[in-house]
Amino acid sequence: MEQQTLQKFQRDSEWFHSNIKNLQDEGFIGKFVAIKNSKPIASNKDINLVLEELDRKGEDPSLLFIEFVHPREFTLIL
Amino acid sequence: MRKISLQVYDFANGLRIMAHFWLRIEELNRSIPIRAIVDTGSPITLIGTIDITKMRISSLKLKNLEGRNKPVNIGGGQITTKIFEGTKLNFGGNFEINMPVNFPINGNNNPFQPSLLGIDFLLKSNATLYFNASKKEAYLEIADEEKKIIEESLK
Repeated sequence: MEQQTLQKFQRDSEWFHSNIKNLQDEGFIGKFVAIKNSKPIASNKDINLVLEELDRKGEDPSLLFIEFVHPREFTLIL
Repeated sequence: MRKISLQVYDFANGLRIMAHFWLRIEELNRSIPIRAIVDTGSPITLIGTIDITKMRISSLKLKNLEGRNKPVNIGGGQITTKIFEGTKLNFGGNFEINMPVNFPINGNNNPFQPSLLGIDFLLKSNATLYFNASKKEAYLEIADEEKKIIEESLK
């Protein structure tokens, strides 16, 4: 069960990173986006509202890939 | 020797080495999948803001749980973390390790702080990191425990 969930999570992570330019073009900049089965299923500027939307859809947010869509010019230095 | 595949993605204007693993925190009775940036510039393994929010753990609850508190300098500012000693990281059933993991409890004003897999993980697991940026390839080689024990006994 855990391994299957991890594999799905990793596939959604892969999809997010491969499609980041499309997400930026499609109006997701500045929003937290939840991905499931290679599709955005919830998004909002406030992550708590993303969690609420996922609750309404019967999803467990802790098992889904959620990431913030940064603007194109944003550079993250750790 | 065990090999763990890592991913190399473009993220926030830079190539990053990413690891995906299952995190089990006994103290919180929680278990979630994590994507962490492998950060050889970070001495510690840190759980990021989004992952903590996803788990719906309030900073008040984190503060009140048992565990060591530690000041950490990150991104030019200082935060305080709670260290949970009994945390397990499982890499797709291929490799599992028990190690202390840091959770920010104070001063973390960055809502985008990603989870980091730090040098402490590489040391604890006796792992070697291979990274070819131009080919976007990365993986970890982890010495078998037996070999590690023999090597340590010869020191």
